[in-house]
Amino acid sequence: MVQFIFDTLFRAADLALIAVALSAVYSLIRFPNVALVQYAVVGAFVGMALQQQGVPIVPAVLLASLLVGGIAQVFNAVIFQRLLRLDPAIALIGSLALSMVLSAGFLLGFGPAAQRFSVQVAPATRVFGVRVTEMQVLTGGLTVAILIAFALLLFRTPLGREMRAVSTNPVLAAATGVNTARVTGLVVFLSGVIAALGGAMLALRGSVSIDMGTNMLLPVFAAAILGGLGNAFGAVFGAIVIAAAETLITNLNFGPIVGQDHVFLPASYAPAASFALLVAVLLFRPRGIFVSEVTRV
Amino acid sequence: MSDFLIHVISVSCIYGILALSLNLQAGFTGLMNFGLIAMFGCGVYGAGLVHRFGLPVALGPALALILAVLMGLFLARLGRRLSTDYWGIATLSIAEIARIFATNLEPLTGGAQGISGLPLLFSGLRPWDGAARLALFAVILGVAWLICERLVRSNFGLGMKLIREEPQLARALGYDIDRIRSTVMVIASVIAAVAGVLYAHYLSFVGPELLLAPETFLIWAMVIIGGIANNRGVIAGAFAMQFMMAYVPFVKDYFALPSDFVAAARLMLSGGVILGFLLLRPQGIFPERVGGRHDH
Repeated sequence: MVQFIFDTLFRAADLALIAVALSAVYSLIRFPNVALVQYAVVGAFVGMALQQQGVPIVPAVLLASLLVGGIAQVFNAVIFQRLLRLDPAIALIGSLALSMVLSAGFLLGFGPAAQRFSVQVAPATRVFGVRVTEMQVLTGGLTVAILIAFALLLFRTPLGREMRAVSTNPVLAAATGVNTARVTGLVVFLSGVIAALGGAMLALRGSVSIDMGTNMLLPVFAAAILGGLGNAFGAVFGAIVIAAAETLITNLNFGPIVGQDHVFLPASYAPAASFALLVAVLLFRPRGIFVSEVTRV
Repeated sequence: MSDFLIHVISVSCIYGILALSLNLQAGFTGLMNFGLIAMFGCGVYGAGLVHRFGLPVALGPALALILAVLMGLFLARLGRRLSTDYWGIATLSIAEIARIFATNLEPLTGGAQGISGLPLLFSGLRPWDGAARLALFAVILGVAWLICERLVRSNFGLGMKLIREEPQLARALGYDIDRIRSTVMVIASVIAAVAGVLYAHYLSFVGPELLLAPETFLIWAMVIIGGIANNRGVIAGAFAMQFMMAYVPFVKDYFALPSDFVAAARLMLSGGVILGFLLLRPQGIFPERVGGRHDH
């Protein structure tokens, strides 16, 4: 049981940052930007490349995420703002296409092998009978810290108030003197930074290969949609539910149902669990569990 | 004609059928299906499963038809309450679920190794078998094109386009959106499954790697390059993309590039074509003809 909770929490931490970034940017620019999962890979790879050049790990990760924030703004200005003028669905296709181009770039630039940061690997210790590595605890704590920082920014600062105002009613916000273009640009930048940090955390905990973005795409979406796209902290809840579903489906003993002692589903079914959950939620609660429309700022 | 050229044109014909199917959904009705490959998969695995369990080959298309109708109805049902972008993501998930099951249900589907040894069409006609297959594919592509043209020029087709442009107006005018959506999805799904059956018997192999998500976006690239909502255009797009894809390995050999180049270039071509056209010429090479003749 404790093992199950730990597995779920670490998997949720994998998904949470990117899902929050996706949800936050959706609240201002009304289309789900699929390319965010690839920004996470860019963040991880740039961080590792910087570290190989001799930059210490903390500034390397920070620099990489700032860079990815800038890249997110460039892509937003050059591609997505133009496509959004046609149709949000066109922008979605554009972001899928951009993800493909980026993953092709990773394949050429980094090769198919998985890569990792060079950090000291401490042997796993046992806590409550569960194997945990130092890195898992560290990155898990950092993930929570980043989420709290983002929540404080969103709910405790004037800038956060402007962000919420623009996402609720952009016309009214503009009329009351909020610079919507600046706020949108900032959120796009932040979404890139958070996604890149998420990628770096994943890389610190294990390794990152070029298809990570593709593999993360649907679980991250499932988490964000479950929480109600546009509701940034619903996405955290969504990540936990998705992680629990994935962990449960592979740890549950189906033996009694089919009349045998031990029948476990192979781990390759785990993603199917989260996608099926996503489809079920869309069937019965099309706008997510928490509806994102807020009534007051 | 060289064997290679016959091969590329044959595959182009099959993808032309797929592009027509996607065009019916995305082009004319505005249904952004990112899981088209699952419909194709109904055809591929319909043919494959019949072969694996030793049933008569003629049952392949029948099984494919049943699977495709169910898939079309299910996706249409999902679309009933979802906005375009949510539905797009849902279709993508369903295609991935289908692929995961195809990979893991080893007793049924043969798992990752897939099913091989499907009977090749016209294998008795050697050395003219390749040309005979090409002729068959071209005829079926022509039939699919005729069906699609008739459909979009009918009253029903007007309803499809109205749903794409002004769904609320369509509802106000008394069009039954759910029924039109289901009909379009079933017809498109059956067309895609026909392409799948043909492809399975052409490769004589069926496996989960035929159902990868980038394959869907390759078909999207064909529709966008050719001209969304133009049936002739998307067939031209299918040929253009397949010819570009076919010559990627030669480029690799010519410049002595690493072997990753082929996989990367395929992704880059699909993604790059979609992005480039959406940004610079969103109507494609052959734009939709607005107005024109309608059969009533």
